[in-house]
Amino acid sequence: MLCEVKEKTRTGIINPIFTCQPCGAQFVSIGVKNCVGIVHGGQGCVMFVRLLISQHFKESFEIASSSVHEDGAVFGACSRVEEAVDVLLMRYPHIKVIPIISTCSTEIIGDDIDGVVTKLNAGLLKEKYAGREVHLIPIHTPSFVGSMVSGYDIAVRDFVTYFAKKTEPDKKLNLITGWVNPGDVTALKHLLAEMQIDATVLFEIENFDSPLMPYGNFVSHGDTTIEDLSGTANAIGTIALNRYEGGKAALYLEKEFGVPAIVGPTPIGIRNTDTFLQNLKTLTGRPIPESLVRERGIAIDALTDITHMFLADKKVAIYGNPDLAIGIAEFCLDLEMRPVLLLLGDDNTNYQNDLRIKAFQENVDFPMEIITNADLWELENRIKNDGLELDLILGHSKGRFSAIDNNIPMVRVGFPTYDRAGLYRHPVVGYAGAMWLAEQMVNTIFTDMEYKKNKEWILNVW
Amino acid sequence: MPYHEFECSKCIPERKKHAVIKGPGEDLTSALPLGYLNTIPGSISERGCAYCGAKHVIGTPMKDVIHLSHGPIGCTYDTWQTKRYISDNDNFQIKNTFATDMKEKHVIFGAEKLLKQTIIEAFKAFPKIKRMSIYQTCASALIGDDINAIAEEVMEEMPEVDIFVCNSPGFGGPSQSGGHHKINIAWINQKVGTIEPEIISPYVINYVGEYNIQGDQHVMMDFFNRMGIQVLSTFTGNGSYDSLRGMHRAHLNVLECARSAEYICNELKKRYGIPRLDIDAFGFGTLAEALRKIGMFFGIEDRAQAIIDEETARWKPELDWYKERLRGKKVCLWPGGSKLWHWAHVIHDEFGVDVVSVYTKFGHQGDMEKGISRCEEGALAIDDPNELEGLEAMDMLKPDIIFTGKRPGEVAKKVRVPYLNAHAYHNGPWKGWEGWVRFARDIYNGIYSPIHQLALLDISKDDIPTDKGFMTQRMLSDKDLSEEITSSTVLRQYTGKYDCLSELSKKTYPGFDPVLADAA
Repeated sequence: MLCEVKEKTRTGIINPIFTCQPCGAQFVSIGVKNCVGIVHGGQGCVMFVRLLISQHFKESFEIASSSVHEDGAVFGACSRVEEAVDVLLMRYPHIKVIPIISTCSTEIIGDDIDGVVTKLNAGLLKEKYAGREVHLIPIHTPSFVGSMVSGYDIAVRDFVTYFAKKTEPDKKLNLITGWVNPGDVTALKHLLAEMQIDATVLFEIENFDSPLMPYGNFVSHGDTTIEDLSGTANAIGTIALNRYEGGKAALYLEKEFGVPAIVGPTPIGIRNTDTFLQNLKTLTGRPIPESLVRERGIAIDALTDITHMFLADKKVAIYGNPDLAIGIAEFCLDLEMRPVLLLLGDDNTNYQNDLRIKAFQENVDFPMEIITNADLWELENRIKNDGLELDLILGHSKGRFSAIDNNIPMVRVGFPTYDRAGLYRHPVVGYAGAMWLAEQMVNTIFTDMEYKKNKEWILNVW
Repeated sequence: MPYHEFECSKCIPERKKHAVIKGPGEDLTSALPLGYLNTIPGSISERGCAYCGAKHVIGTPMKDVIHLSHGPIGCTYDTWQTKRYISDNDNFQIKNTFATDMKEKHVIFGAEKLLKQTIIEAFKAFPKIKRMSIYQTCASALIGDDINAIAEEVMEEMPEVDIFVCNSPGFGGPSQSGGHHKINIAWINQKVGTIEPEIISPYVINYVGEYNIQGDQHVMMDFFNRMGIQVLSTFTGNGSYDSLRGMHRAHLNVLECARSAEYICNELKKRYGIPRLDIDAFGFGTLAEALRKIGMFFGIEDRAQAIIDEETARWKPELDWYKERLRGKKVCLWPGGSKLWHWAHVIHDEFGVDVVSVYTKFGHQGDMEKGISRCEEGALAIDDPNELEGLEAMDMLKPDIIFTGKRPGEVAKKVRVPYLNAHAYHNGPWKGWEGWVRFARDIYNGIYSPIHQLALLDISKDDIPTDKGFMTQRMLSDKDLSEEITSSTVLRQYTGKYDCLSELSKKTYPGFDPVLADAA
C-alpha cells in the first residue's frame, strides 16, 4: 500500500493542531439561542477560547467562567458553579440554557457537576427563579481526553440528549453540520431550500457573522432554539455531515427515538455533495431539482477550467479537523492533486477504521502519509529535515509559519483562520464551496508563481 | 469620590466597591475601588489565569527558549499566536510552542515519564536551542508531578542544557497577576546568579518589565546604545535566557511595567543591592524624563539630553499635528494592569484627549491609585470589569475611542465605538518618540475613519447625504479647525515607514566607555 496510516511516534506535542475539549463544547454553546455556558475551571479556559473564537470571527461571544481559584482547587469548587448560575440568571434575563462545561482541573478534583445541577434544580431554580424556564446541562469535557473535536461531538450529543422529546412526528429533517462557518450554513440551507426540504439545522450559526448596526447592540450569537432541539426526536431522519462532530447525536436519536441516521460524508467537493443530495433524497423523497443540476454544472465548468491544467499532480499537505481534512483530501484527488500528507491532530483511535481512510489506503497510487495524533511538527520536520516537497498547504492559521518560512503557498481553511479576512463568510461545502475552495487553491498557486517568477507568463492565456 | 453602582450589577452587591467616579476636587482618600479580589463567578469577567500570566505574558517573550507546558494541550494551544512580542532571532518563541499533551492515563498514573521524554524530544527537534522553560498547569499541579525533579534529572543527563521551572497553575490567584508574581520569584530563585556576565561598560542596567510588543524593546535599546549603556538583560521581551541569568551584575534596574515585574526588581534590590528606577517610556515628556533620570544616575545626563533634543525636534511637529486634531476626544482607557497609569496623563497632555474612564482587569489597588490620580475629573474607574458593565459604561460615557484588548474591542465595535488594541497595539511600536507619534496616528485613523462615520447613519430614517462620493480623514478632522492649524507649515502628519524597525537594526553605535578598574 502506498498510503500509510501511522501514529506520531513522539510523545509530546510541538505546535498543536487542536486545542482541548472544553473549547469544542463552548463553540457548540454559542450556537444555541438564549444560552450562555459556564466553564467550570480556571479563567483562562474561557478567556482564551473566547479570544480564539473572536480571532476567527472578528466578533465577541459570551461565555462565562466559574472562576475557580486556589481555595476551590483545594476544597472543591461546586459552590462556584452555584454562584455563577445565579449571577448569570440575575443579570441576563433572557438566558434559558446554561451548559456547565467541565475542564481538566474540575474533573481531577472530582467536582460533581451533575450533582450541582440536581441541587440547583431542586433549590435555587425552584425558589428564586420559579416560573422561569431554565435548563442546566452538565457537559463533561475533561481536557485530557480527546480534543476540541470530541468536545464538540460530546456537547452536541448532550444538548440533543437533554432536549430531544418525542411528541408528534413531523416532516422535518435534522441536519447536524459539524464544526463549520456561517458561510457553510448558508450554502447548506440553500441546497435544502432548492430541494424544498424543511430542516432543523444544528447549529444555526449564520448570525456569527453579525452586522454593525446604526442602533442597538447586535451581539453575535447562534439561533438554534430549545424547540429546534426538542423537535429533533420527531424528525423523519438525521444527517450528520461530520462523523466526528455530531455523529454521536445522530446515532443517539436513531437509537432512542428511531430517527434514521446517515452519518457523513462531509459534503466537500462535487462527489460528496452529490452523495449528500442523494441522502437528502433518500430520507425525504424529494427530487433533486434542475436548479441544482445547473448549479453543479457551473461548478464543474469552473473546475474544468483549472483542474488538469493547473492543479493536476500538485502535492498538498492537509491538516485540521478530521472530517474537513479527509473531505478536502478526497476533493483534491478528484481535482487530480496529490494529498501526500494528511495530519489528524488527536489520539482518536477510530480514524484507523474510517472507511474514507481505508479507501485512501486501497486506491491512492502515490506515496501518501496519514498521521494520527499528529502535531504541526510532523509537517515542519518533513519539509525542513526530510525533504518533503509541497506545492500547497491547506489548513488553519496556526500552521501559518510552516508555509511562510518554507515559501510554500497556503490556503487557509477550517478553524481558526484568523490571519485572513472574512473566510468564515465563504463555504467549503456544497457546489459553491467546491468552486470557492478550488479557486482559492489555484489563485493562491498563481500568486506564488508570480512572486517566485515560476512560469508566471503561462497565465497570459488559458 | 463616590462609588459608582452599575445598573446591571445592582444584583451583585459585592461589585459595589469596584467602581468609583473621580469627583471634582476629590482625592484618593475618599474612595478607591477594591482590587485584586476573587472574581465573581458568572460575571463574564475579562480576567485570565495565573498560568497565562506566567507563561504567556512573562515567560514566552524570552526568545531562545523552548517553552513547554506540562498539561493537556489546551493551555499551550490557547496561549500561542495571540500576542505580538517579536524577537531578533526570527521569532522562534512566537512560532513554536511545546506541550506534554497529558492524557487520562497520565492523570491517573502520573505524567513525569511523559514529561521527561517530551523534554528530550523537544531538544532533539531543535538542536540549536539549549534552554527550556517548563510551565505547570492546573492539571499537572493537581496530580502533583514533581517538575523540578525531572528538570534536574534531565540537566544531569544533558549537561549542555539548562531548564527553568515555573509552578504557576491557572487557579493560583484571582487573575493572571498571580502568575506574574510566581514567575518573577521563580526566576530569581532558580536562575539569577548562575552565570557571570561580561561587563563592558561603566553603565550597566537591566531593562525590566518590557515585553517587546511590536518592537518596543528594539526602540529602547537604540536609546540605551546611544547613551553607551550596557543592557545586561531585558526581562523579558527579546531577552535571552542566559543574559537573564546574569541580572545580578547590573548597576540599576530600569523598571517599565511595575505591575508584572516589580517583584524581581524588589528581590534584586534586597539580595544584590541593585536600585530600582521606575520609568514610563510612553510619551515624549515621560520618556525624556526617564532617560534623564537614567542619565543622572550614571552622571551622563548630557547624553540623554542630546537624544531628547534630537528626537523631539524630529517628531514634535508630527505629534502636534495629531494633537490639534485629537483635542477633547473622549477615551476609555481599558487595558490590563499597568497601561492605565502609564498612559492616562500622557495621552491627555500630549494627544489632548480626555480620559473618561480607566479600568484594570488584573491590576491591584496601587495601579488604580496611580491610574485615577492621573486621569481626568469625572472619570469612571472600574476594577475587574465585566461585559455588561463595559457596555453600560460605554453607553453612559459615549467615548470616541477605546483602548482595550482584541475581544473587548469587538464588543465596543458593536456599539459603534472604534477600538485600538492596548495590549498588542495597532501599528506599533508605540514606545519612543516615533512610536508615540505612531500611536497618535493610530488613534486619529480610528476616530476619523470614514467607514466609522458611515456606521452611524441609519439609511431607513436619516437623511442620506448624496453630495459626496467619498470622505477623507482630513475632511472629517479639519472641518472645525482654524486656518492657522490646517495650513501650518510646521505641523505635519507622520512621515515614518510602515516598518520602522528595519532601519534600526542596521544602525551602528560608537561603543561603550572603558570600564575603570575601580568601577567594575
